[in-house]
Amino acid sequence: MQAATALIDLVSRVGARAKAKLSPKPLGITSALERPRISKRFLAPLRGVMAQAAGALVALVSRVPARVHSKLLAAFLAIAVLLIMMGAVGLNVLSGMNERTEEFIKLRRKIEAYRQVQHDTTSQLYSVSAAFLSSDEQTLLSTLRQLNQFGYDVDRLEFVASDEAELLTRFRQEYDRFIQIVTHVVELIRAGNASEARQLQVAQAAPLADRLERLTNQLVNRAEADMLGSIEASKQAYVISQRIVVGFALGSIVLALMLGYAISSSLIGPVTDIESQLNKVAAGDFSKRVHVVNRDELGALARNVNRMCEELDRLYQQLDAASKHKSQFLANMSHELRTPLNAILGYAELMQDGLYGELPPKVSEVLQRVDRNGKHLLGLINAILDLSKIESGQLVLSVDNYSIRDIVQTVVSATESLAAAKNLPLKVEVSDDLPTGHGDERRISQVLLNLVGNAIKFADEGEVRITAKAIDGIFLVAVTDTGPGIPDSEQARIFEEFHQVDSSNTKREGGTGLGLAIAKRIVELHGGRIWVESEVGRGSTFKFELPVRSQQRAGAI
Amino acid sequence: MTKRILIVEDQEDNRAIMRDVLSTAGYHLIEAPNGEDGVRLAQSERPDLILMDIQLPLVDGYEATRQIKRVDHLKSVPIIAVTSYALSGDEAKARAAGCDGYVAKPFSPRELLAKVREYLPDVATP
Repeated sequence: MQAATALIDLVSRVGARAKAKLSPKPLGITSALERPRISKRFLAPLRGVMAQAAGALVALVSRVPARVHSKLLAAFLAIAVLLIMMGAVGLNVLSGMNERTEEFIKLRRKIEAYRQVQHDTTSQLYSVSAAFLSSDEQTLLSTLRQLNQFGYDVDRLEFVASDEAELLTRFRQEYDRFIQIVTHVVELIRAGNASEARQLQVAQAAPLADRLERLTNQLVNRAEADMLGSIEASKQAYVISQRIVVGFALGSIVLALMLGYAISSSLIGPVTDIESQLNKVAAGDFSKRVHVVNRDELGALARNVNRMCEELDRLYQQLDAASKHKSQFLANMSHELRTPLNAILGYAELMQDGLYGELPPKVSEVLQRVDRNGKHLLGLINAILDLSKIESGQLVLSVDNYSIRDIVQTVVSATESLAAAKNLPLKVEVSDDLPTGHGDERRISQVLLNLVGNAIKFADEGEVRITAKAIDGIFLVAVTDTGPGIPDSEQARIFEEFHQVDSSNTKREGGTGLGLAIAKRIVELHGGRIWVESEVGRGSTFKFELPVRSQQRAGAI
Repeated sequence: MTKRILIVEDQEDNRAIMRDVLSTAGYHLIEAPNGEDGVRLAQSERPDLILMDIQLPLVDGYEATRQIKRVDHLKSVPIIAVTSYALSGDEAKARAAGCDGYVAKPFSPRELLAKVREYLPDVATP
């Protein structure tokens, strides 16, 4: 379709340019202005009609229930048949020309013969008159011989000009009479009866000779008219033949172009459609279907692609439903787990606060354990919920302006009592000129809180250091501890769920094993990265980078 | 005069904790086990504050809050949402329904009391 439209467009433009070139210098403004308008007025509907016709042709070829190579073979065969027909017409024209040439030769010979007869008749009459004048026996004999000779010529004529038989019969009759009269005249002369011979000559031979001359003239004229008619007919036949050959040549070209265009379009169209469909599938959109009218291999391919899409769509829906189910289940479970926890933690707190009276020290200690374990359980529930939300893509960052300095301050306030309990100095180095960040403040605080909490947990002596700076639009935050360090082999795996360097630590320190996995996902959702640099026995430095201006990353897992 | 608090909460254990901490602190409590009763009691009792659970039978906390806030003489009564929905956007949803404050479950009784005192500061100590 597009190719046809482009072609027409090109033709119209070239045509317009050619017209502009061909036209003489503009005679007036109007003529220069009208030209393109006229060509547009003619071409616009033409273009529409041609585009429609091309579309209909392509659709027709597409719907032919045949295989692709059958279609191609049929198209080539059609063009070959047209060429063979053109050759046959050419041969026919050639043989026609040959016949005409033969006819010309015959006509020419006839005209020559008639002219000969005409000439002979004239000379005959002349020699007969001369013979009468001389009355010489020799001359008379030669005249009679010539007459007979002339008779032979006329006999030959009959053979050539069969279509003028009537005229010739009259000619022959007249001629026979002429010979009789002349023979009679000769006999009179021989008998010395010159005056009677002269009388006969004047009264009968001369008018007869005149008539003969007129008849031969008629014959010549008629033959010449035939010749002219034949030349004219030949010219017309040639023009018709020429038109037929040109017509066949043009027909072959048009047919070749049309079939080539229609067949290639009927192949390329579906291939393009299927390709774009597969692109959509590759991009994760299974809902669309490709519509191909072809009843050949491409139609089958399109049907298979559609079936594949349906299957993928069905699987995707199932998967999506299962994933939503899982997320909903986790959310519900988290709610159901929190409700009893509320009572456990609430009562433990109220009892510790002495709401129900003074408690013996042992009970107070037990309540502390209940409280600590309850909070650990709550932490686990929260972490699992966070993780499931991140994995199902439900965690939406509340993106707003934040200050890294404020985040560090919040985390320090939340953890300094823990550090103080272990006698660990908490050192903070934050650059003075940090830009205002753009991201989810609560989630970034969660990451830093996790890192600092871990550092305090694992460092028994030394210090915990928090540094924050900005380089080239990226925040770099580092938490360094003087803990036991992490072996190289473990450094990548500690960001996996439920993975801890030493499981005995979990029991001792009460970690969930999910904090780093969540931290990694939160940082990645912000378009940043997190990693650890550590040496066993020398402590660890956890670092994360965040773009100063973050946007939620789609589908981060 | 003793300030009166309406607790709309379906879990008896949670109501008991609130009852213990808040009545000890000197508040008079009215209790509703579902959203429908909550709306009805709010209209008849005209409490000074409402603690509203979100996941409730019959009428949920969002809807109950909307219904209460539609009543002219109850418009000024502060409603604090108490919910274990820790999903992001819950606080915003509670505020959109008309809640004035928000406490996440599991709550610490101490924090709950502090929140209540923000709205009802001049309670008589028993």
